[in-house]
Amino acid sequence: MSPNLQIALRFLADRKRSMLMSLTGIMFGVAFFVITQAQTAGFEGYFIKTILGVNGMVRIEDRIQSTVRSLDADPESSFSIGVGGSVKYISGVQHPHVIQEALTNIPGITASSPVIRGNAVMLANFREYDVKPYGIDLTSYANVSDLETQIIDGSLKAFSDNPYGLLIGVRIARRLNLSVGDSILLQNAANLQRFRIAGVYETGIDQVDRERVFLHLPAIRTLLNQPIGASFIQINLADPALAPAFAKRIRQITSHSTMGWQEREKTWLQVFSVLRISSALTISTIILISGLGMFNTLVMIVIDKTREIAILRSMGYTRSDISRIFMFQGGIILVLGILSGWLAAAAGTYTLSKIPIRIRGIFASDSFVVAWDIQHYLWAGIIATVVVLIASYLPARRAARLEPGTVIRGSSS
Amino acid sequence: MPVLTCDNLQRFLGSAENRVQALRGVSLSIEPGRTYAIAGHSGSGKSTLLYLLGLLDLPDKGSIHVRGQDTRGLSDEQRTALRNEHMGFVFQFHFLLKEFSALENVMLPMRKLARLSEADMRAKAADLLDRVGLADKRNRLGNHLSGGEQQRVAIARALANDPALILADEPTGNLDHANADRVFDLLGEIAHTRGQALLMVSHNPELAGRCDQVFRMQDGLLLDPS
Repeated sequence: MSPNLQIALRFLADRKRSMLMSLTGIMFGVAFFVITQAQTAGFEGYFIKTILGVNGMVRIEDRIQSTVRSLDADPESSFSIGVGGSVKYISGVQHPHVIQEALTNIPGITASSPVIRGNAVMLANFREYDVKPYGIDLTSYANVSDLETQIIDGSLKAFSDNPYGLLIGVRIARRLNLSVGDSILLQNAANLQRFRIAGVYETGIDQVDRERVFLHLPAIRTLLNQPIGASFIQINLADPALAPAFAKRIRQITSHSTMGWQEREKTWLQVFSVLRISSALTISTIILISGLGMFNTLVMIVIDKTREIAILRSMGYTRSDISRIFMFQGGIILVLGILSGWLAAAAGTYTLSKIPIRIRGIFASDSFVVAWDIQHYLWAGIIATVVVLIASYLPARRAARLEPGTVIRGSSS
Repeated sequence: MPVLTCDNLQRFLGSAENRVQALRGVSLSIEPGRTYAIAGHSGSGKSTLLYLLGLLDLPDKGSIHVRGQDTRGLSDEQRTALRNEHMGFVFQFHFLLKEFSALENVMLPMRKLARLSEADMRAKAADLLDRVGLADKRNRLGNHLSGGEQQRVAIARALANDPALILADEPTGNLDHANADRVFDLLGEIAHTRGQALLMVSHNPELAGRCDQVFRMQDGLLLDPS
């Protein structure tokens, strides 16, 4: 062991109580930082997973029609000059099969499914209820959503076997006191059609569960009187993170408005981001305060050990040695604090993940959702390191600058 | 070769109206195996001279040579290294590190020099403590020893790296008569038998008189330079 480290350890042991307090502060700061990040990242990740399973990664919607106007350069000439214009959006996808065919040539796109959506009134149990029917091709839609795992009553097979089968959201079922096997009517304008409930689903997203009903494409075409086209095409990607790039490329190819999920859910994603940042800043203050405590303790040690420092200098210990002795003290507390903080963080995160809590609204969960990410641990360690380094450096510098002659002369007189 | 020489040392202390010339041009030579005392009234510049010769302070003018090496222009690190290798200090207050045992205190300078193995350092420290009569107290913490015992540990520590020069500032000033005699005899014996030089500041004329040579100081000058 180096002499400087040995001296640092002995000096630390002499101030056990105050150093223990600094250590505890750093441990708690690191642990809380990781736990809060795990929690916010966990919820954010779960939200993203839910929303991708409900609304897909990319959606191709309205056709973009450019309305560029032009003037003939010369009445006799065939040249014309563009004089600007605007963009017109034509609702829906007129030829979804053509676009789906084109999409199969783009690597990275794993599945696509046409969807027709509209508005209707559900008549059931002597009540009327506004719903948003989604007409789907079950086979392809199952590849672009998590519908299969969202069924909580009934089955997709029952839905598949019945051309007039219906899947309703759990909030609709509870509101209208409906269950699997019940018969209901859907009305849109003059069209009235009977359906049988094949299944009840729950996404956890309140807005979806209380208004969306799934029926087969042919059935919705009849209900909405829309024999061709689709409202949008929902797309799945191999890598969800690349949705913006794919959306841009598809937009260029198909001249349809295309949006990735990041843009679509921007508001919620920003909420989570702000939450994560603000919790990181708040918890970092715990680490900062611990650092201040350590600074105070080290300054007291420097004052307390002034004569010892002078004696060490007279023996042949350099300014760098003295500085290192104090930096070591900070370093020892830092390492112990980070390691114990990481342990506490892991234990706390695990415990938190087991705590039951019923969340419904933007996703469905019956316990705290946590994300295990090594980056949280690294960032906590980095913040603690910066704080403790600064807290140690200033007292270390002060100790190194002591003039041994002055100190010893002052002590002897 | 002299262990240490200095030529025309001058030192000012304080600043502005409080600036005083503590040394006005001191020259001397320290030979190995001899004991020297610096005597004089309070304020004559004794401790200032000692700290300059011990490279704990820098002169405003003049030169100091340690074993033939001119210390002018040396960096703080280089002067510190010279202290570590060639000098040992004994102060009025022993200044032991209380977190360390007697043995570990003696080993501190050796650890810095880093020329011996751990086992050799321990053996040498134990031997030094034996020489100063503290063989059975080597594992006691520094602050669990009596005043005289602590001063003897400080002497052993000063000898740890076999320095050419031992500098002592009132080494017996805080001890009773019996212990003071014992400590002085020990220092003198070590200097004569091990060929090391001892330079001691002392208010005690009787102890000063028992040294091989006495430098008497007054108002920053040696009265009878030799």
